Amino acid sequence: MADLTGDIARLGMSRRRILQAALLAGPGAMALAACARADSSTPTGTAASGAATLQIASPTNPVKWPINPGNEAIASGLSPEKDAVLRLYNYADYLDPGIIKSFEEKYADTGVKVELSTFNDTLEAMAKIRGGSVPFDIYFPSYDQIGKLVLANLVRPLQHSYIPNIANVYPEFLNPFYDLEWQYTTPYTLYTTGIGWRTDRVSEDIAARPNPYDVFWDPQYQEHLAVLDDYREVIGMTLLRNGGTDVNTGDDALLAAVRDALLQMNEKTQPRVTITGYTDLPEGRLDLSQAWSGDLIMAVSYLPEGTDPAILRYWFPKDGAGVVNNDVMVSLKGGQNPVLSQLFMNHVMDAKQAMNNFAYTGYQPPQVSITPEQLISDGFIPPNLQEAIVLPGYFDSGYRLLELPPDTEAKYLAIWQQFKAGA
Amino acid sequence: MTISAAPVDMAMRDPELGRTRRWRRQGSTPKARGLATVTVIYLLWSLVPVAIAVLFSFNAGRSRSVWQGFSLRWYTWDPVGSVANDPSLRSALTHTLLLAVLATVVTVPLGVTLALALDRWRGRIPSGANFAVLLSFVIPEIALAIGLLFMITLLTTPFTLGTTAQVIGLITFQLSYPVVIVRARMLTIGKQYEEAARDLGATAMGAVRRALLPMLYPAILVSAILVFADVLDNFVLVRYLSSDASTETTSMRIYSAARAAPTPALNALATLVLIASLTVVLLGWLAYRRWGKNEGEESSVGSFAGNF
Amino acid sequence: MAKRSQRFLWPALAIPSFAWLALFLAIPFYVVLCIAFGQVDPIFRTSIPAWNPLDWRFDQFAITLDRIFGANNFYLAPITRTITYVVTAVIISLIIAFPVAYFTARYAGKRKGLVLVLLVAPFWISYMMRMLAWVNLLQTDGIVNSVISLGGLLPVEVNWLSGKPYTVVMGLIYGYVPYMILPLFAALDRISPSLLEAARDLGASGFDVFRRVVIPMSIPGIAAGMLLVALPMMGDYFTSDLLSGSPDTSMIGNLINGTIQTPGQSGQAAALLLLVLLVLAAPMFLYTRTVARSETRS
Repeated sequence: MADLTGDIARLGMSRRRILQAALLAGPGAMALAACARADSSTPTGTAASGAATLQIASPTNPVKWPINPGNEAIASGLSPEKDAVLRLYNYADYLDPGIIKSFEEKYADTGVKVELSTFNDTLEAMAKIRGGSVPFDIYFPSYDQIGKLVLANLVRPLQHSYIPNIANVYPEFLNPFYDLEWQYTTPYTLYTTGIGWRTDRVSEDIAARPNPYDVFWDPQYQEHLAVLDDYREVIGMTLLRNGGTDVNTGDDALLAAVRDALLQMNEKTQPRVTITGYTDLPEGRLDLSQAWSGDLIMAVSYLPEGTDPAILRYWFPKDGAGVVNNDVMVSLKGGQNPVLSQLFMNHVMDAKQAMNNFAYTGYQPPQVSITPEQLISDGFIPPNLQEAIVLPGYFDSGYRLLELPPDTEAKYLAIWQQFKAGA
Repeated sequence: MTISAAPVDMAMRDPELGRTRRWRRQGSTPKARGLATVTVIYLLWSLVPVAIAVLFSFNAGRSRSVWQGFSLRWYTWDPVGSVANDPSLRSALTHTLLLAVLATVVTVPLGVTLALALDRWRGRIPSGANFAVLLSFVIPEIALAIGLLFMITLLTTPFTLGTTAQVIGLITFQLSYPVVIVRARMLTIGKQYEEAARDLGATAMGAVRRALLPMLYPAILVSAILVFADVLDNFVLVRYLSSDASTETTSMRIYSAARAAPTPALNALATLVLIASLTVVLLGWLAYRRWGKNEGEESSVGSFAGNF
Repeated sequence: MAKRSQRFLWPALAIPSFAWLALFLAIPFYVVLCIAFGQVDPIFRTSIPAWNPLDWRFDQFAITLDRIFGANNFYLAPITRTITYVVTAVIISLIIAFPVAYFTARYAGKRKGLVLVLLVAPFWISYMMRMLAWVNLLQTDGIVNSVISLGGLLPVEVNWLSGKPYTVVMGLIYGYVPYMILPLFAALDRISPSLLEAARDLGASGFDVFRRVVIPMSIPGIAAGMLLVALPMMGDYFTSDLLSGSPDTSMIGNLINGTIQTPGQSGQAAALLLLVLLVLAAPMFLYTRTVARSETRS
């Protein structure tokens, strides 16, 4: 360590040479341009990116995505890949290990191994998928990325014959607005975005507030609350809190108000920004958190022994006018196992597996066999969390977080960056 | 930790720090006593939290703050969560060790040859390289990590993110250790042994191999240990350059789980890496002592530790 | 013949590592430059690097500079925060490290080896484990709170891990202070006791000796130690992530780490990174000069 001192000292006497060394890199660097990856600098491969445009799917503008040439669905009746490693890419704690195990057992004769990799947020996930370094087979995004995934030719169309269990899910998912005729996606889970809290630490009934979203600006909960580490959810929630009804707006005035509100929130309550509320609430690191409905159901299993599950509460607007979404499964084109990927999706949609997954993750699958009344009466969900059940009607009354046009997305991300910088 | 915790403990129980009289060069002045107190407090602050973390890896319950009895549950027998039974923890441990071995095996020879060259070859090119080495030593790790990440994702490279990328990043980042340590040793050795060997008819390469290199063994050993331990510790580089779950290391596991729902299994995992690290250091020290004896040099723990 | 082999031996030995550094240090650095001076894809908002320096554009730099010095200067908050944290942490580290190193070098006597081993011990314990240790201790129901509340007698419950700047600064000190102690020790250990005795014999008081001999002679060690802890702290993001997780303690490292892969923001993050490196180059050279001067003097 001490001798480093000497080395740097000697170095200091020849600063001129340092500059020369830096210049050495110059000419060789030009050659780098030659090995730049075409696919990463121009997203649509050889096509100039300016020529392609991103279609925005919404309930009023349903989209049937094109099938890119050379990316047709695989033939039906193919046998599963042998001795394959099926690579899943998902949030942490968002898939029952039992599903993986039962899939490996079911297809034991093929020697398949399932490997689950996790991401913290979908921005990070998209960067890695686009980088193309890892041949992930199945990705579990929200539908707000489908347009980009198709445009960049990153997803494989499905061969429906491998996925008979689609019959088990709500029929609307056979023709969802974000992917008419379910060419690329199968539904995974349903969730609403609301507020979760502990009644033993929060004395008021948050649901009784005129505007429950205001709690995130209430200094009495300073340092004991969190918002989701998800720019769409936080900005969407703030838009609703400000009285808006469009959670996908590109309106500058509305977004400026969101930015100011978020900076205010930082100042007033210093929220944590995390998606681990499902453990932080039950383990007492948070009293109150913006949460996905599934987080609260999952939180029950993280309660320390002897803690009454009745302390957990979840709020979502009674009239269903809140943020409601669903996650999907897609088969990535970079994956090496198209057959197994689709068989795995089919396996996840099996009624029994889907129920096991619900029990493990807390996130509700869109299975027709599941009825809200039955979830309570079976004791699957404690009555105090009944608001965390996603009702089919919510999809008519709720707000959807849609894919954003690039310029709007840039505005959202700039706000998020500023919020996270703690400015 | 197992090694170092005991002496701290003993020093604490020592009823009168005044007994330090015997081992101090100067008398037991209040100043010396004050400094001793500061040092002991510092050492306690620095090591006790880790000792507690190790202790809780043996907790029978799920808690990391309430002691519920001694158990190896989180190491071996918990059917789901223990290091032995959770495949992701197991693979994090083996992958960390794999990276440490691979990175050490390449970094040390590369660094030693570079140190030899930088020390004996005069001119502008080597001093430029010296700058690069020191740069890799002082630039914030995140800069190198981001550079390599983009290089791999934006350029056509013969390797992708994952183990190869991680090893490459680690080697680049660690290369300065053997260079700096071996060069320091060469300064104290001087040129006379090599020259004597040349006079006796050895070729340049032969002189280096037979005369110089053996004298550098202790320094090479120390740098190998340092590289190995530092790789076990690495987080920023391995995280940016990782690909899928099979390339997660223990530090990445700790980072992602410490914020979510950790069980004492995480402490157990960290303890196992600590044991690996301490084992290597201990083996290194034993080897160092043997070399030291052969050469009749000072070979105390202190001179070994002082090398860092 | 022998001379020729000698002449080519050293360059030959250097070739592998030169090639290595060119490939994996110079090129990555150049790629970061190309991104910072590059453009953004209009749809995917991914980075389009400008490989040819002639194509370099200052758009991304302009945005970054605007966010530091312009009207909407929200980069300034994490920057000033980082500087405050790092300066505080470095000063406290020095206050901790100096007496410890001084004791070890001058008074530890026969126990010097043992003390050194204990001082070095944190190097063998992974940073993440040491942070994990504190995460455990500082939980709301953790040991620190139960000690403070005397085992639950007092109604104290500090939420240490929730956006507390002092927790983050403590974490930084805890994480990096060993890197300061060792160079300090090396510098102090090299001061020969006879030199100090000579100063005493010439009539200097104990304090005078400390101020006029010990301090000046340990300046290279102090500088090395401060540099060695300050540099990694400047790029640190995980300490704040683990011990706080709130934007309220967001540092430059968090800003860079959080946006380097965000669509449309890679270029700005790369530009910010380059600016940080540029600023860090100054203390590095300053330090180098200090060392050079002190070496020529002695």
